[in-house]
Formats: sequence, C-alpha cells, structure tokens
Amino acid sequence: MTVPEMSTGVFRHGGMARAKERIIGLLWFACAIFSVAVILFILAFLLYDGFPIFVQANLLEMLTGTVWNPTGTPPLYGLLPLIAGTLLVMAGAMAMAVPLGIGSAIYISELAPARVKAIAKPAIELLAGIPSVVYGFFGLIVLTDWIRVTFGVPTGESWLAGSILLGIMSLPTIISVSEDAITSVPREFREGSLALGATRWQTISRVVVPSAVSGITAAVILGMGRAIGETMAVLMVTGNAAIIPDPLWNVLSPVRTLTGTLGIEMGEVAIGSTHYHALFGVAVVLLVITLMVNLTATFVLARIRQQNAPKALSCRPRRTLDAERGSVSSRLAPVRPYFLIAIISLLGLPVAGVPGYVGVALAAYCLLRLKEKITPRLAQKVAFALLLGATLAVIAILAIILSDIVIKGLPGLTWEFLTESPRNLGRAGGIFPALVGTLYLVAGAIAIALPLGIGAAISLTEYTREGKLTRAIRTGTDLLNGTPSIVFGLFGFSFLVLSLGFGVSLIAGQVTLALMVLPTIIRTTEEALKNVPHALREGSLALGATRWQTISRVVIPPAVPGIITGAILSIGRAAGETAPILFTAAVFSQRFLPASLFDPVMALPYHLYILATNVPGADTNKYATALVLLILVVLIYSVAILIRIKSHKT
Amino acid sequence: MPDSHTSMFSAAVLAVILAAALVVCGCTQPQEGGPQAHGQRIESLSITGSTTVLPVAQAAADAYMNTRGDVDIRVSGGGSSVGIQSVGEGTADIGMSSRDLKSEEKARYPGLVATVIGNDGIAVIVHPSNSVGPLSLDQVKGVYQGSFTNWKELGGPDLEIVVVGRDSASGTREFFHEKVMQKEDFVRTQLEKNSNGAVKQTVMQTPGAIGYVGLGYVDATTRAIPIMVSGSPVEPSVEHVLSGKYPIARPLLMVTKGEASGPAKEYLAFLTGPSGQAILVEEGFVPLA
Repeated sequence: MTVPEMSTGVFRHGGMARAKERIIGLLWFACAIFSVAVILFILAFLLYDGFPIFVQANLLEMLTGTVWNPTGTPPLYGLLPLIAGTLLVMAGAMAMAVPLGIGSAIYISELAPARVKAIAKPAIELLAGIPSVVYGFFGLIVLTDWIRVTFGVPTGESWLAGSILLGIMSLPTIISVSEDAITSVPREFREGSLALGATRWQTISRVVVPSAVSGITAAVILGMGRAIGETMAVLMVTGNAAIIPDPLWNVLSPVRTLTGTLGIEMGEVAIGSTHYHALFGVAVVLLVITLMVNLTATFVLARIRQQNAPKALSCRPRRTLDAERGSVSSRLAPVRPYFLIAIISLLGLPVAGVPGYVGVALAAYCLLRLKEKITPRLAQKVAFALLLGATLAVIAILAIILSDIVIKGLPGLTWEFLTESPRNLGRAGGIFPALVGTLYLVAGAIAIALPLGIGAAISLTEYTREGKLTRAIRTGTDLLNGTPSIVFGLFGFSFLVLSLGFGVSLIAGQVTLALMVLPTIIRTTEEALKNVPHALREGSLALGATRWQTISRVVIPPAVPGIITGAILSIGRAAGETAPILFTAAVFSQRFLPASLFDPVMALPYHLYILATNVPGADTNKYATALVLLILVVLIYSVAILIRIKSHKT
Repeated sequence: MPDSHTSMFSAAVLAVILAAALVVCGCTQPQEGGPQAHGQRIESLSITGSTTVLPVAQAAADAYMNTRGDVDIRVSGGGSSVGIQSVGEGTADIGMSSRDLKSEEKARYPGLVATVIGNDGIAVIVHPSNSVGPLSLDQVKGVYQGSFTNWKELGGPDLEIVVVGRDSASGTREFFHEKVMQKEDFVRTQLEKNSNGAVKQTVMQTPGAIGYVGLGYVDATTRAIPIMVSGSPVEPSVEHVLSGKYPIARPLLMVTKGEASGPAKEYLAFLTGPSGQAILVEEGFVPLA
C-alpha cells in the first residue's frame, strides 16, 4: 500500500522504480478502460435483447408511433409519447434545479457566514441520501394532492409533479459539485478583483463563476443524469399515461417516461415475448437519449472552455480590469439574464402556476431591459437577495420532506424495531436484517467502485494526454452516469444473476451498485484532481520526484476532500436505490443474516418499497423504515463530513 | 512539516474507508458448509415473483418456519415474470405468479408446473366521498374505455372521472382486460400504476378516481363498488367470490420446475393445507374451494 512508502519521504530512482511507475500507470489505465468496457458491454446486452423488436416492429414506425399499447390487438409499440415524456420531465426538472442549485451553491460558497456554510452544505448533501422511494411516496401523497387542489385539476399526477420531484432530487448533486468547483477558485482571483474596486457581485458573476464554469457544467450534467435515470419516484407521480401533453406545454397533463415504462412493466412481462424485447428496445432508446444529452453537454462545455480560455484562464487579470471599467449592467454575459429570469420566475410558479411563471419571466425580462439604469450596488442587492432566496427555497424543501418523515416515523422507532427481525410482513417486528443487508451492499459497492473510480480519474487527469482516447473514456463515463439505475438492474439480473449463475445474491447487488456509482466517483475525483494547481506538479517533478511520487504525495492529498465528497454522494445513492437491487440482490425477508456473498440479503429501500406498495396497513413501520434509512445515511455522512473538515484543518 | 502531516492524514483517511469497506465485505466471505443452527444443517428455500402473491407467501413462510427450525425461506418480489424466469433458470425454487404461464414461457421452460394456491377477487374502488351506486360490468368497461367521462353520467356527483389502472405487463390488468374489457382497449389517458398499493393510494386521495385492486386492499380509505349481476348488486367479498356470484376473480399460482420435491413440496403442502389457507384468508385472499 501507499501509506508506509509515503511516510519515508525518500525519492528513489532506478530500473525498479521505472518499472513500478509503468505498472502503476497501466493499472490506472486499466481502471479507466474498465468504465468504457462496462458501458459497451451493457449496450451490447441491451441491443442483443432489443434487436428483435426493431426488426419486427420497424424502428422508424416505433420512433414515430404515437400509441404505446403492447397488449392491444394488434400490439402497438409507438415510442413517441414515452420519449416526449422523458424529455419534458427532464427539461422541467432542470428549469427548476439548475437556477436554484447554482444559486444556492454560489450563496453557500461565497456569501454565507462560515457557520451557516458549515450547516448548509452537509444539510444539502443530506437531500441526496433520501431514498427515491421516499421521494416518490412523499410526491404521491403530498405533492400530487397539492397540485390537484391548487390548480383545480382532477388529478395532480402530472408532468409538473414529475419535474418538481426530479428537480428536488437532482438539487443536492448540482449544489454539492458546483459548490466544490466555486470554492476551489483560488482566493487571489477574488482578492484581485475586489482590490480593483469591483463589487462582490461583480467579482462573483464575472470572475469566480466563469472560473468555475467547467465544474458547474459537470454538476449540471451529473444532475441531469440523475433526472433522466430516475425510475421509482417518477413512476409514482407522473401518472404513466402514455400520451403527449396537449397542448405540448400543458404541464398538468399526465405523462409517461421511458424509465417509468421499464419500471412498471419489466417485472411482469413474459421473458422472451415481443413485449419483453420491446422493453429492451425502450432501454436502448433511453441510452441513446442519454448519449445525445451527454454529447451535447460535452460539446457545450468545450465551447464554453474555448470562449473563456483567453479571458478567464490565461489572462484573468484583464477580466478583473474589465469588471472595474464597465458598469456591470452593460457587460452582462449573454447567458446570465436568462439565468436570473429563470430564478425569479420560479417564485411565480407556486402562486399562479404556468401563467405566473410566464408572467414573472416577462416582467423580469423587462426589468433586465431596464438594466442600464441599475447601479452595481443595486444589482448586487437584487442578486444577493435572489441567491439567498434560492438557498432558503432549497432548505424549505428539505425541511418539509424531512419533517414529514420524522413526524410520521418517530412513533415507530423503538429499540426493538432496530434489533428484531420483521414479523407479520413487516407490519410488526423490526428491520435488523435489512439494516445489516444495506450496510453490506453499500460497503461492497464502495469497496469495488472507489479504487476503480479513483484509478480511472488519476489515469484520465494525470497520465493520459487529452486526445481521442480520453474523450472516448470520458464519454463512456458520462454515458454510464446517465444510464438509468433500472437499466443497471436489468443488466445485473440478466448477466450476473442468470448468465453467471450468481443467483439473487449479495455479490450481484454489490457489483450492480458499484457500476452505478462508479461514474460519480470518477467525475468528482477528476474534478478534484484538476483543481490542484499545475505549479505544484511542476515543482515536484522539477525536484526530481517521479510521476507517481508527485501524484501520491503532492496531487492527491489536497484533492482528498473532493474525492470524499464524491464517495459521500455515492454512498448516499447506493444506500437509497431500489431499482438496481430489485431483481439482483434483495429479498423481502430472511431469517438469518447472509453467510456468504452468494446469499441474498434484505435491504432497507427494498423493504420500504414493498411495505409501501404491497403490504396494506404497514404505515407506521413504513415511515419508521424511511426514518431509519435516513438516519443511517446521516450517520455515514456525518463521519465523512467530519473527515473532510479535519482534512481541511490539518 | 505540515505538508507531510496532511498527506499522511489524507492517505490514512482513504485507507480507513477502503479497509472498513473491505472488512464489512470480509464478514460475508463464504463459510464452509453454509449456515448452521444448533449444529443442524439448514435447508433453504427461495421464493420469488409476483408482488401480489408475496404477502401470502411471506406470511405462510413465517408460520411454516415457526414449526420447522431447520428451514430458511427467503421471499422476494420483482414480478410474475421474474418469478417464472428464476424458476426456469434454476435461481429460485418457487416462482409466484398472478397470471397464467404465457406460451413463450412454456416454450422456453417446458418443465414448469403451476400449482393453484388460492384466488384473488378484484374490487372496483372509488373515493370514499363518491356516492355513485352499483355499476354493471358494462358500465365499468365504459368508464375504462373513456365513454363515460363524468360521474353524473352514472348517477354520481358532477365530477370528472380519473381512470386509474395497472401497467400493461400486470397480471391483474391482463385479467381485468379479458374479464371486464373483453379485450377492448383502455382509454389512453388512464393513469397506470405498478402495484395494488399505488392504485389504492391514488384513489383514496383523488375524489374523481376509479381503480381496481385485490380484495386484500379494500378498507375504509376507499369505497368498493358493488357489481350489478343480473339485476342485483353483489358486494366484492370472500364469500361472494367463493360462491361464484362475484364475477371478477382469478387464481394465484406457485410455479416449480417439475413436480415440487423436498422443502418446496412440504411448503406448498402447508400453503394449500388448512393452516396455509387460513393465512391466505387473513391476507384478504380467497381460499381454494
């Protein structure tokens, strides 16, 4: 291991050392190749099972067909409503989450007092730990009812409900990763800008945020991946009627997403039937959409980097001069007004619905037209108020969801509940085996994914030159990130459980979850490594250290907090996901704890899912289970956050 | 030297995370000879499949294990097809299904044997505040086809009907499609849910909703509508299903690879025996005649 070697502090050279260097490099490269291999393998698996339907039902007819009715006579496999549903729900979620998320990230990293920041950041990371099943049930019980009453429609299960829920679910990812990116902008940039007389808002909007744009984009892509891939929560609140909203902007129409279709139909469809192949066809289309979204994002990111390169990266001082010279209003970047409009307009959404949103957006737009008259001071006041508003909105959402779970779950939370096995279908007794099973699953997934992910990130940032290969690997990683958890579940079931003969087992669940969190770890580690200034590497190499010595002693240590953030997000996600373990690892009950990796396990989210959907009259234990899952995640997070704070201090 | 201090600490942190993860995994390394209890060999039985049948299978498994200390029964859901495929592939001992085997499945796994363990009545439910009277199967069909869009057309309140059904792969929906819809298409605006619990949840909080669920899910939070059969209303109840009066009921199946043997056979015998059937009734299902 690296620990003893690092403590010696002696730089060695020679043939042995060089061979070691090469082996280490190859090892990390193997990790990087692995994620591409996995995605190709999954794609091949899906294509193999989806191919028959494309032949049988004609791909073009499927893509343009407007009726999805696989059990009709004749069966119709029109994908258009499903594709429309997926894109609309995602777009709505992003319209809400991107401004709120980036706004909160800016507030937390730039404006919040240290004490607020210390509380707000972990609190928002906590949102990521709430299992999607809980979001789904919260959405079904509270959100859809609220929409039904507020808008006076027959049912609240709609595109709007799906978008709001997905927006909330992708917020923690967006905030956490953006906040890291903004915080890691060197202090000198801010000081330089302020020293030149720019206001704080000018500094933030024209120096800090542009410098962090690559990290923020990564955050948005990660959040989008979460939104496209979410199954359990979405299928509970969108109504799943396979229709295209009429008119297209009718956010109150029920919709059905591609993931929702897989989630509700996969479990019951006859394996090998046309309908079964059609569902794999749906999975292929889903993957293609995520590929297109990711490629577009990559393209946009490259353009942003290009545009910013001369100003924001190599000649930053000039940018700050600009900030001093011109008034903030006349030099607003073209994107920023729309960003502001989107934030402001959100305030109109709960009050008057879509007309409210449009109305406020128009008003905001007019205000922005009048921006010539706005002084930098006033602009700063407005901007800060909006940022604070975004943060408060996020915290309010967190508070509503948490208080709902805590109030309803607390009565059921007893010592017996934690230490006993379930009785009477989980209506009585406890959840001890599920608690242990979840720990096993998460620990196994992290043990597999953390070394692989860190290795891949090191290979990508430190060893390989930017080129076709790294781009391919990165695209593979992004695609893997966008791959819906339900697809991992399908893959795990057909490959690990059936083809490799693992059966429904702990190991199948651990591997499936590991694949799911791998891209998160790669992405965040990469981002953390990139933020280590090049000068440090050059200095170390100039002193005669080898590449690996430089990486292990100079580059990795300051990147550890970022890497830990990635690990935290992954743990939260792995602990709360239902779809990947649904077919691969989880059983509803067992008497003994698993004795080997090939035994199935109970798991908290799965237990919760069954209690919530299939066991009538288990309300107390349902919420108590959700609460325990939440507390478990809080504990894991607290440990990780403590570690992060400690590593910042030393 | 603060720098080396930091790097050592960081490395230690990473090492601890990895070590902790590995240790927890290590605890689950395969042990020789499988699980033991009181020095006795434990036989394990895995049951998977339909989430409709899961509660019965689980409750029966609990009761059965109380009488037999040497059997560990593991029940999991996933859906009827997961159950059938798992049994066909040999990764589970018993598959639960709320629908008959499809021709594709019979062709793929020719040796499968299905045992009927009970029946399930399907109740048509509405919001408790909905005052609509008994409906005929034709009227229910009309609602699900979209020919009726307001409850007042059926003698109920002036309220838009929200049609709630199951997903197109559901065994319950397939049965409803044949029995009530006579294989005609559902209205396209139907909200689709993937479980009885989710249908019930939507119906109980949506004043205009109509849905269909297994008898076990009927309670005061929703109102089960009596079905008009040759001029007289029939309440959905266990006795009416048993007597054949209530028209919407279907069998629940357990599937094995070949005739059941060993613990699977004993478990099925328990389930179809008097104590097993009592559990079935307790869970809201209809026993074998």
